[in-house]
Amino acid sequence: MKNESQKGQPSRKQVIELATFYIGDALCGMDILKVQEINKLMQMTKVPQAPDYVLGILNLRGQIVTIIDLGKKLGLGETDLNLDPRNIIVNSTGGHVGLLVAKISDVVEADMEKLERPPANMRGIQGEFFKGVYKTQSTLIGILDVEKVLSLEE
Amino acid sequence: MEFEDDEILQGFIEESLEHLADIENDLLTIEEGGANIDEELVNKVFRAAHSIKGGAGFMGLTSIQELSHASENVLGLIRSKKLIPNPEIINVLLLASDQLRQMIEDVQNSNEVDISAHLDPLNSIFDGTFAQAAAAEPKKKATAPKKKAAEPVVEIEPEPEPTVAEPEPEPELAEEEDVLDQEDEEIEEEEDIPATVVSNPQRIQDTDQAKKSTPATKVETSIRVNVSLLDSLMTLAGELVLSRNQLLQTIGTDDFRNAETVGQRIDLITSELQEAIMLTRMQPIGNVFNKFPRVVRDLSKKLAKKIDLTIVGKDVELDKTIIEAINDPLTHLIRNSVDHGIEMPAERKKKGKPETGLVILKAYHEAGQVVIEIRDDGKGIDGDALAASAVAKGLLTADQIKVMSEKEKVNLIFLPGFSTAAKVTDVSGRGVGMDVVKTNLDQLGGHVDILSEVGLGTTISIKLPLTLAIIPCQIIMTGDERYAIPQVNLEELLRIPANQVKERVERVGDAEVVRLRGNLLPLIRLSDVIGLDRTFWDDKDQTFKEDRREMISDRRSKASPLFGTSDKSQSEQQQRPNRSVIDRRYAASSALNIVVVSTGAMKYGLVVDRLLDSEEIVIKPLGRHLQQCKGYAGATIMGDGRIALILDVANLARMSNLTSLDGSDRATEIAHSMEEAIKAKKDKQALLIFRSSETEQFAVPLNQVERIEKIKASDIEMLGGKRVMKYRGGSLSLIRVDDLAMVQPLADYDNLLVIVFNVAKHNVGLLAIGPIDALEITADIDDITLKQPGIMGSLIIDTHTTMLVNIFELVQNLFPDWFDSIEVFDAVETTDGSAPTILLAEDSNFFRNQVKGYMTEAGYEVIEAEDGQIAWDLLQQNREVISMVITDIEMPNMDGFQFTKTIRSDPRFTGLPVIALTTLAAEEDVAKGIAVGVNEYHLKLDKEKLMTSVHHFMKQRY
Repeated sequence: MKNESQKGQPSRKQVIELATFYIGDALCGMDILKVQEINKLMQMTKVPQAPDYVLGILNLRGQIVTIIDLGKKLGLGETDLNLDPRNIIVNSTGGHVGLLVAKISDVVEADMEKLERPPANMRGIQGEFFKGVYKTQSTLIGILDVEKVLSLEE
Repeated sequence: MEFEDDEILQGFIEESLEHLADIENDLLTIEEGGANIDEELVNKVFRAAHSIKGGAGFMGLTSIQELSHASENVLGLIRSKKLIPNPEIINVLLLASDQLRQMIEDVQNSNEVDISAHLDPLNSIFDGTFAQAAAAEPKKKATAPKKKAAEPVVEIEPEPEPTVAEPEPEPELAEEEDVLDQEDEEIEEEEDIPATVVSNPQRIQDTDQAKKSTPATKVETSIRVNVSLLDSLMTLAGELVLSRNQLLQTIGTDDFRNAETVGQRIDLITSELQEAIMLTRMQPIGNVFNKFPRVVRDLSKKLAKKIDLTIVGKDVELDKTIIEAINDPLTHLIRNSVDHGIEMPAERKKKGKPETGLVILKAYHEAGQVVIEIRDDGKGIDGDALAASAVAKGLLTADQIKVMSEKEKVNLIFLPGFSTAAKVTDVSGRGVGMDVVKTNLDQLGGHVDILSEVGLGTTISIKLPLTLAIIPCQIIMTGDERYAIPQVNLEELLRIPANQVKERVERVGDAEVVRLRGNLLPLIRLSDVIGLDRTFWDDKDQTFKEDRREMISDRRSKASPLFGTSDKSQSEQQQRPNRSVIDRRYAASSALNIVVVSTGAMKYGLVVDRLLDSEEIVIKPLGRHLQQCKGYAGATIMGDGRIALILDVANLARMSNLTSLDGSDRATEIAHSMEEAIKAKKDKQALLIFRSSETEQFAVPLNQVERIEKIKASDIEMLGGKRVMKYRGGSLSLIRVDDLAMVQPLADYDNLLVIVFNVAKHNVGLLAIGPIDALEITADIDDITLKQPGIMGSLIIDTHTTMLVNIFELVQNLFPDWFDSIEVFDAVETTDGSAPTILLAEDSNFFRNQVKGYMTEAGYEVIEAEDGQIAWDLLQQNREVISMVITDIEMPNMDGFQFTKTIRSDPRFTGLPVIALTTLAAEEDVAKGIAVGVNEYHLKLDKEKLMTSVHHFMKQRY
């Protein structure tokens, strides 16, 4: 009941740290507090009949972790498994989930007040998964709404 | 309603529910005691109510507070012996505690609940107006509420003791524990552990009870664990850390021996740790059992029955998840026993039983499982009544019922859509009970069995695994991934060698079935259900290869003897002409691996690529993104760290649209066509195949063979010009096929076979060489081409021309004197001096000629008929002369049974002997034959017995 007000939304301090990474060519970020760890791609077990964005499951120290190809889920194209992709293990409400991304980038401090709305042309499947866009001096970072990404459709 | 502090509220809820769980049973005990008030017990209940009231007041839960207060008032009167508890009063208190529980489970809305229905009777009890008002309850409502404001002050304050002990035993414990920790940890074991051990189990079960009944509030499930258990866990964890350090050190030094020791140590600790952790999940079954006294009490009251419930084995421990899951099925079963099992008191008296019925609920360990028994001494389940009802409902056919055992009939109660109660009551018997019970228990890996004796009672026993967390599984492989199939679903593993695949796998429409010991089992390919490419394991290459067969039963020639080939598959086959790789149909390694699994009423074969070991695995849940994949029950981590999915066999069946009905329908259908096919073949002959020289193959009817012996050529002795060998303390005459028949001489081998026959009451051995084989064939016998003395005829077996040896003829020619000693086959003369006439009905030329040969040889006249119909016509035309009928069983137009029946139903032929001939005397055929009026049964080629029998009947007649 009261937990809600503390996590996620920066109320007093507006600056949060973003873990940034590439999905395809797009630079995206998420609240670093959501990230449990980042792994190289380990040996996975395929799950026949799983949704197409689920690459498989792997054994993370005795826990079964579902690996989601973030590129595919967001409609940004399949992540190339040969280019040494990384797994971002996030601790979501339904247990641990791995998000496969093409490349890991820096940790960026971001002032959430400067967060801008997703651009109007970012529509369709991509738009709904982004909370907004953050501008640094050199680049734009799309801020992922992790819970939305991990929520099930329908 | 919002609460400031979640944790305190949570604590209150858990604690209150614990109290309530106790209250219920205690109230029942108080009720039993009646005027004999057990002060301590009443005190306990009183304190519990008081604690709830105190807590509720603190939290601002006014309704709960009021109700618990009113209850407390009444209890106070009982305690001070101002009030004698009678069932009505206890009932009111019980109802109030139920209401309290409901409100506490839904704390947020508790203040809005209308509790006046409970308050009024409580208050009227308290102010003494209840006794006379018990009947006219509603009236009281107006007077009661006034009182409640005033009373509490007076009653409550003088009770300081409950306030102290408010959170009941818990604080003591906690304190003790604290003190200990601070003082001296080493002394702790001796004195304190026993205390905790005693008090803890009780509480563990209570929390659980609370948990179970609180689905409304989204409580983070917690479990109370025995402190000593936690301590041992701590110790083990410490050990593990030590071992890890050792291991790390050893790895640095390359010391293999030491590494081994450390490895063993870690192995040991891990298994101990695993066991200890499992124990934390174990809970006494009493948690579930404890609520049944109330259930039985309420029900029996409602039904006006007298019932005692005896509970045995409350301490038996089971995994928490199982405990939670068996609650509903058990309740259902208990209600059934009370409602349907136990009779009304009057009825019981009439039957000479005690008026009070007995229901026994018992839990005990057996063979690594827990057995729960629900036994009643009621009227029992009438299997026949069930069966009749099942037929009436169209669930089964009368034919199916006939072959069912009593036990199977009783188990019909588990059929979906079955209700045994003649009339539906609101207690049980809505027709959706027992099958749900069974399904629930099946899901737990449990097993239900019913034993019932009409008039004496019913025992339902449930077998449950101790835990669900670790289960034995069969590991299989398909498409390069491993999968686990829980052993509870596993019936057997079946491997069909490549050369038998086409015989044993058949299909009806697009359904494939395998023949397994006479039954037909629907087949599902795992790769098809979960949408993988079909592969098969090539043992030679140790790799998986693509499988190109459409159907398992595909064969080189797609024409099945039973079913027409569909044009579609043929044209598809033509569409892929470039089979450059070896097609599976031609590959030698195409053996089929089938896992026969069962789930509930369904049983099917799962076709997999490889069968691996069986292993004990730990079930891990799949993430929410995979919940939609219904085919898996979870996943597990294998020894090499990789994951294997656990298959849910029930859902796999559903996914491939295999319902039990479908499966059995198809099976019946195909079984029927098989039968037809076999019938069409007729006259199966069991033959023993052997050789005498290497190039010539012989056969004798298998039923003439007594036994087969392996001997050395040196065992054979020539004595008095006769070949003999020692055999069972006597000497056995040995003959060879070439002694009489013009065939190649016996091969000159050291190792020979002797096929022993019994002819004319003598044993005789036929020398032969291998390979020998026994098979059933239906080939036509050619009795012209190769016929000669000693050879009856020939037939083609597997492209080999095989000569059928007439052992009788051989013996007759080689040892003619044997026949002198036994009854001479003199033709019996009829009264007018002519030979008696026999009507012989037989469709096979070969056998007809054979049998006719025997008869004419013995001096009988024979009239031949090719089938039953012709025989009947002939019999009518020649009824004056025919004195005996010999008939085959399987014949076109009219079979032997029908023919015999026709004869027996015609008074003109009274007393006419009928001998039936068959190639294989199956017992049911014999029985059927005798039923229609056959006098005797004989095997076609057993000349001796047949002739003896013919003579016997003829002598009787003349």
